[in-house]
Amino acid sequence: MLINILVDTLVTGLPLVPVVLGVFIVLQIRQDFDLTVEGSYAFGGGVAGILIVAGVNPVVAMIAAAAAGFAAGMATTALTLFLRLPVLLAGLVMNMALFSITLRVLGLPTLSLAGMQTIFSAVAPAPGRAADLATSAVLGGIVVLMLAAFAVFLKTEVGLALRASGVNERMVRSQGVSDRGMLILSLGMSNALSAFGGALTIQMQGYADVNMGSGVFVLGAGSVLLGMLFLNPGGSQVVRIVLAVLLGGLVYRLILVAALRFGLPAGDLKAVTALTLIIAVAAQGYLAPAVQRYTVRLRERRTPANSSARARIGASHG
Amino acid sequence: MADPMLELRDVRLVYHRGRVDEVQALRGIDLVVDKGEFVTVVGSNGAGKSSMVQIISGAAKPTTGKVVLERRDVTGWPDYKRAGFVARVFDDPRVGSAPELSIEDNLALALARGKRRTLGFALRGHRRALLRERVARLGLGLEDRMHDRVGLLSAGQRQSLTMIMAGLVAPDVLLLDEHLAALDPATAQRVLGLTAELVAEMDCATVMVTHNMDHALRMGNRLLVMSRGRIIHDVSDDAKSALTVSAVVDLITGVGDVVSDRSLLTELENAE
Ligand SMILES: Nc1ncnc2c1ncn2[C@@H]1O[C@H](COP(=O)(O)OP(=O)(O)O)[C@@H](O)[C@H]1O
Ligand SMILES: [Mg+2]
Repeated sequence: MLINILVDTLVTGLPLVPVVLGVFIVLQIRQDFDLTVEGSYAFGGGVAGILIVAGVNPVVAMIAAAAAGFAAGMATTALTLFLRLPVLLAGLVMNMALFSITLRVLGLPTLSLAGMQTIFSAVAPAPGRAADLATSAVLGGIVVLMLAAFAVFLKTEVGLALRASGVNERMVRSQGVSDRGMLILSLGMSNALSAFGGALTIQMQGYADVNMGSGVFVLGAGSVLLGMLFLNPGGSQVVRIVLAVLLGGLVYRLILVAALRFGLPAGDLKAVTALTLIIAVAAQGYLAPAVQRYTVRLRERRTPANSSARARIGASHG
Repeated sequence: MADPMLELRDVRLVYHRGRVDEVQALRGIDLVVDKGEFVTVVGSNGAGKSSMVQIISGAAKPTTGKVVLERRDVTGWPDYKRAGFVARVFDDPRVGSAPELSIEDNLALALARGKRRTLGFALRGHRRALLRERVARLGLGLEDRMHDRVGLLSAGQRQSLTMIMAGLVAPDVLLLDEHLAALDPATAQRVLGLTAELVAEMDCATVMVTHNMDHALRMGNRLLVMSRGRIIHDVSDDAKSALTVSAVVDLITGVGDVVSDRSLLTELENAE
């Protein structure tokens, strides 16, 4: 039972980690809400799906999906920059438009990938459990590579500017960073990642669906908030970001999978998704200070030399 | 020898133009500041000091008039584009640095001020060493806390860090808008000393707004008094050295403006 839950979590959760990362970039780093990610998730799935069915190499199909998501992000950016719509509204509009576009791309509401060459084709013939484990391994490899690349990016000059841009806009402008540039970068990357996640998902589940994006933003946001909860504010910011995305995404999935396994009807899953987000937000407010105090104490024990001052400062802030 | 770094030509700034709450923040500012000049600016609340600073930094665009930096007309340039010329230290210590980032990351961000940001690592070996050395000069022990979040620092430490950040890439114009206002007197004194040191090294045009008459007199080689959107007095060198705190207060109140309690308090303190 437990093993089943864990394997299900990996197989269905890992394809969503890119989406969580995308939501993280806009929500946590830029402190903004971009609902385009729902549309670009399905759009990415649709583009990859149609290409895979046409016999295109699945890796090429995934790259095309990411490019399609990037283009969707650029459309939202254009609405924001030229029509001065707030990102929230621009994303809502683009999300609707993308539904029709995805339906056009797919031709039908759902598209089966049965018998097609996907990134899992090599491991699929294995029997039951072994196939799931092999699928998890492939997905895990991709996700780890992606997170590592993102961590490296965050340490570059551009990545550093992005990390600062959401928190303190005046400061970042005074250092010569253009908001427009950061908006383009963040919405482009986040939607490319979301579409990439869609492309992974359809190959894992064996079909693309025009409605598959619905609820993905809340799921991503819930994962991000959950992830932030696990991590104390000390240490390297880059490591914290990457771990928050990975842990948040997987734990969120674990909750949903466990709910299903314990007999919850599939129709109630959306409610669980919403409820988990609410609990994560509540926990942020009520639990975070306590967790923070605890982690400060832990660190004190580990490095007794110079951390008592830090603990004092940390406590006064917590 | 006069080498103008910064020029404002008949700059006017109107907020809420055409509305009932229209404010004429600047009513025709003409100013030339040369390289190496250090200008202090005083004036009652609402005189337009911050507005003038924002016009220079590009955070506000003049309603009419021109802004010239290093003989280049930058009137239409947004603030981030001017960042290669202009370094700013804000009145609120929280604005000058990003709390979530480490000390080192904040410094690295400032190391690329006004330059094209690349996909190279922001912190490379020799940069780390340079930043550490700069921070060590503060004498606050921050060089041993390079990985700590800036949010953990005190207001004085953050403002000191912002000063160091402003000097990492030598600016042509350094803008300080009440940058000591949020600090306790002892810390303000220390950051003031740091200001003098950095300005002496940088050889730029410096504009420092302050409500502290004593600081306005002790620092720099030129004093501007502003009132209701205009520069009403412009005193340089020897004439400035000859001024006393009460004479400056007279200059401000002479036109019917009030000097804030804060300024009078510092005057009393200094009289003691
Ligand atoms: N963003 C703004 N919107 C409207 N009015 C403003 C704004 N900023 C400043 N003002 C007004 O402009 C005038 C000059 O303000 P300011 O330059 O901040 O003065 P100072 O820094 O000398 O105290 C004041 O009357 C102020 O109320
Ligand atoms: Mg002011």
